[in-house]
Amino acid sequence: MSTNDAVRRIIPAGSYVLFLLFLAGIWVAISPFVMTTQPAGQSWLASTVNNVVIGVILIVVALLGIVGYMLFALRDLLREAQARQEVAEQVSQAPADR
Amino acid sequence: MQPIRSTVGKYVCGMAACLIIFLAGGWLILAPFALGYQPYGADWVSQTTNDFATGIPVAAVALIGFFLFLGSALNSLRASGLIVAGPQARFSGGISSQAPVTPVPDLEMQQSDLDRTLSTLAAALAADLAARRQASSNQQTGQSIDHMMQRRDV
Repeated sequence: MSTNDAVRRIIPAGSYVLFLLFLAGIWVAISPFVMTTQPAGQSWLASTVNNVVIGVILIVVALLGIVGYMLFALRDLLREAQARQEVAEQVSQAPADR
Repeated sequence: MQPIRSTVGKYVCGMAACLIIFLAGGWLILAPFALGYQPYGADWVSQTTNDFATGIPVAAVALIGFFLFLGSALNSLRASGLIVAGPQARFSGGISSQAPVTPVPDLEMQQSDLDRTLSTLAAALAADLAARRQASSNQQTGQSIDHMMQRRDV
């Protein structure tokens, strides 16, 4: 398996979508301050609290999705590599037994 | 079946994330009305417009991501032979219409690299074993013939 294949298995198309949603989460969290709908120095409005909470949820869930997928995919790759190594060892030992 | 469970696990992880984000996008669309910072009948305030303009793409993209992960999971399950690809499924002939028809997956196409390597190894070992048995039986036959010839000579 080439490096490109391994990277493609660890980072699928869905992970790019999750990264896009991560960026959207950042925008949702900071938008009340960027758009100045939240007056400076005052307690947060209901819309600000809502946007910050939802933005943080988007960021955390998107990151967890990307990292979780990567960890599972890495574990699968390691298991496959171990299985291939065992098969290769068995094949190399088979002629020596004759 | 630990490897299959782990293979599906990563897709479930991605699908769950996309589903949660889809729900969050839906909430972003509803929030201005649910929380009351958008008065009914009035023009939309800028925060409502922003939430709406962000919530719809977030929900749509999350749905796309969900189906991407779902497609990958289905492809993985097809490759491991756990589910059968519909149009390519072969059916055994001569079965009555009321009998349950079991589709046979095209194993040659669906075997993973590891399965193919293992089957090659198993075939090589079987051939080796057969060759050894053949050689030992030939040797025993030769010895018995020699033994009989020696007895006849005596």
